[in-house]
Amino acid sequence: MGVTRRQLLRFSGMGMLGAVIFAGCRIPDREFIAESPVLIPEDLVEGQDAYFATLARPSTGVESVLVRVMQGRAKKIEGNPDYPMSQGKHTAQAEASLQELYHPDRIATPLRRVGERGSGEFESISWEAAMGELQAKLSEFSGNPGSVAMITEPLRGALGTVASRFASNYGATQMAFEAVDQTVVRAALKNLFNQDRLPIADVKNAHYVLSFGSDFLSNWHAPLHYNWQYGEFRGTENGKRGTLVQIEPRFSMTAANADTWVHINPGTEGVLALAIADVILKEQTGNPAGMEALRDVIEANAQDLPTAEDVTGVSQAKIVKMARDFAEHQPGVAIGGGLAAAQTNGLFNMTAVYLLNALVDNIGKKGGLLFNPEAPLKDVESSAAASSLVDFQRLADRMRTSQVNVVLVHGADPVYGLPGALQFRRAMKDNVPFIASFSNFMDESTAMADLVLPDLVPMEGWGDDVSDPGPGYESIALQQPVVMPFVDVRSFGDVLLATAEGLGGDMTRGLPWNTMKDAIRSNAEELFKLNRGSIQQYPSFEEFWIGVLQRGGWWDTKATSKDSTKAKVDTIPGQATPTFSGAAAEYPFHLLPFMSHSMGDGREANLPWLQATPDPITTAVWSTWVELNPQSAKELDVREGDILEVTSPKGTIEAQVYVNPATPPNVVSIPMGQGHTFFGRYAEGIGSNVMSILDAVSDADTGALAWGATRVKLTLTGRRSRVPKFEGMVVPRQLHERPVYQISKGTDHA
Amino acid sequence: MAIERKWGMAVDADKCTGCQACVVACQSENNIPINESDHFLQRRAIQWIRIERYWEGEFPDVKARFVPMLCQHCENAPCEPVCPVFATYHNNEGLNVQVYNRCIGTRFCANNDPWNVRFFNFWEPVWPETLRNQLNSDVTVRSRGIMEKCSFCVQRIRRTVREVTREGREVVDGDVVPACVQSCPTNALVFGDLNDDSSQVSGLSKSGRQYRILDQLGTEPAIYYLKKVDPNAITEEAHA
Repeated sequence: MGVTRRQLLRFSGMGMLGAVIFAGCRIPDREFIAESPVLIPEDLVEGQDAYFATLARPSTGVESVLVRVMQGRAKKIEGNPDYPMSQGKHTAQAEASLQELYHPDRIATPLRRVGERGSGEFESISWEAAMGELQAKLSEFSGNPGSVAMITEPLRGALGTVASRFASNYGATQMAFEAVDQTVVRAALKNLFNQDRLPIADVKNAHYVLSFGSDFLSNWHAPLHYNWQYGEFRGTENGKRGTLVQIEPRFSMTAANADTWVHINPGTEGVLALAIADVILKEQTGNPAGMEALRDVIEANAQDLPTAEDVTGVSQAKIVKMARDFAEHQPGVAIGGGLAAAQTNGLFNMTAVYLLNALVDNIGKKGGLLFNPEAPLKDVESSAAASSLVDFQRLADRMRTSQVNVVLVHGADPVYGLPGALQFRRAMKDNVPFIASFSNFMDESTAMADLVLPDLVPMEGWGDDVSDPGPGYESIALQQPVVMPFVDVRSFGDVLLATAEGLGGDMTRGLPWNTMKDAIRSNAEELFKLNRGSIQQYPSFEEFWIGVLQRGGWWDTKATSKDSTKAKVDTIPGQATPTFSGAAAEYPFHLLPFMSHSMGDGREANLPWLQATPDPITTAVWSTWVELNPQSAKELDVREGDILEVTSPKGTIEAQVYVNPATPPNVVSIPMGQGHTFFGRYAEGIGSNVMSILDAVSDADTGALAWGATRVKLTLTGRRSRVPKFEGMVVPRQLHERPVYQISKGTDHA
Repeated sequence: MAIERKWGMAVDADKCTGCQACVVACQSENNIPINESDHFLQRRAIQWIRIERYWEGEFPDVKARFVPMLCQHCENAPCEPVCPVFATYHNNEGLNVQVYNRCIGTRFCANNDPWNVRFFNFWEPVWPETLRNQLNSDVTVRSRGIMEKCSFCVQRIRRTVREVTREGREVVDGDVVPACVQSCPTNALVFGDLNDDSSQVSGLSKSGRQYRILDQLGTEPAIYYLKKVDPNAITEEAHA
């Protein structure tokens, strides 16, 4: 049957009509996205906020931050984009200072001990009563001022000045405590270059970085700033991607990010550094003047390559390659610290490492080692060295012979952090008549106190800091209160100033201020008079004061160090080879403790965000684990989660096994930071304190704790429990032909 | 509807050190509940952004690799069509949006999510009274029984757009910064508009080193990874 013309027109007309109707009935685009009549998150209207520049003081180093404040509550920490050490960035630890501020276990009022000492039983008292008691005790012992010991964290800035003048006016013994101190590095830099302040390595401009044990991406010196520099170092902005070589007996976070990780026998870093120097000298690839000046000392101390290989465990070929690369790829820089300094021959190691910089003459130059000048203010401490283990040993001995009557402790927890072998807790508990703590949390040392005068947290009070290390030029960061305290606490500095006033006489010498705010302001007036640097040419001080607070500090990029960059060294102090506590036959493993990436030496174990932050390498959280080589685990017949007893000549702790493919066979590693008996709900009763089994061995020359020099043995307990960790939480999505992690060997680098 | 912007991110694996600054910054900004030890043991910890660690080799030739992992905000997101109540949908700026007050907790989306970046609230989030002072008032606290995930800090995008409009100008590259990108000390994370040819992220998305994770699924992720550069690599991949 044929189709007539009329039929064809009718069909096509109907078809077109259908198409129009269909199109007309189409659901509009918007309807596909079903909209709710109530607010959806992207439509939320937020309130007014304000940002203030101040300081966060995590254990990883002081950071200049901006705090977002809404209705009097601090909401968010952000890095200060202006301040040279911060560059708008901040660490996990700085962020977590918000939890310190609003912590449910903060000490809310002054406390007086009611229970037995160390039981943690206290009653609330008024500030007037607390200040009265403190003053009465200090008056009582003013005839024997040396029997009063003031233990603080290493204090810089105006508070450093206030504390040290208070102590010296009174005649008290002043100590600075840091569980992992920089004493050895500081001593080496003092001997070599006459520097009191830590230098900064100009990693961002370097082509080659040789790092001996300094875990600068995790916890060493200024990790935030070094991470930022590392980003620039890796970037192609400089036209060249830098090479990082990490020399360390443990696979640290920095080793994980290095181009090459060179595994070395513990404590032999100095031998390696000298072998590298010797190759540079023999091949005449260093700086001519530098080589000439150091020739005698290197030749007298360097061992020949086969011996160096034997001692360090690093092959001769690798030593020669490092020497050639370091000399060839200048600017380059050599830094050292961490485990390399934490040995009985720490000073030998550090002196040998920092010598390398003088050999290639990179000091004060782009991509090299930059010295930091002192702050241009007379009332501000620029550097703060910690007291050594030997100093604390002496203090403990004086306590035991009843020569210490009063201990004042602030910002430091020596009862938790000193090696168990020192018996510091017992010495303090049994022999010191009066202990006052200025801590804002009930840590182990505060639990021993008779009187607690809780301090503010940095976001609530005035302060400042001379960045140490600084950016290579003069810089001072300022701290201002951004929220009101919600507990009844007072600034440590203010309490010291008021006590000095109350004691009268010579106590106020050099302390003309009533409060810390006065001290900070009078320092700012001096800065104003300098009329140079980041904030200048303001018509009045008041305007300058607002400007300097808004920007979070003051710095002068032109004010660099004028010190001589020539190394002065006749001999390398100390021994080339280290000694260890515990005989190798009985204690087969080197114990290499490390600062927890998130909680440092334990000062931040009370902050839940940081407890829940996975360790970068093992991904473990909320626990203490012992890292074991897969082969060692097989030989011991243990697997992950088995609980082991780790025994040193000085004690035993328990830890869960974590089998780490990067751990060397003769080494076990345990993170610091856990095992608190006090310190609030998030820290108490978790894991073990590795410091408690360390022997009190120290660097022979400086007396600093050699925390990497204890050997241990492992015993099975027969118990096991799963390791809380991030690893394994999600199913692996790795397909052989489509790896999640892809690596470029550099050919398609763009 | 015209698509004006398409938010995206570049993650440079060569710069990421695994420092976890982004992880904590995100938890602070987005009111993520405290991840207790038990949550990890039950594999129910919530991390909108996390650092995955991959191993390559064994001692002494060993490497650890870090990959920041977060919602990929896919153009063709497999989690979106399975939601029976439109609690998750794709908005016109390329965001994979989660509407908490629609979610009824079927968890179909998590089941369909190949990256495991969606999280179910198995418990009512609890903070001690004092810690609640820190909670970000721009972000809803999610109750028990609903899904949550990375929002590219949508509250920051909205705030910035509103402020910039008030200033009478257009949004330019670098105006919008999610909390993770802001904190990243090495600048490994870069955020911006992929539709803007002049933006940094758009440039990086065309880098010779770029790839997208699970690209073979065809979901068109908005996160571009840049390969780790390692001339001494043992292999060209790492294992989980």
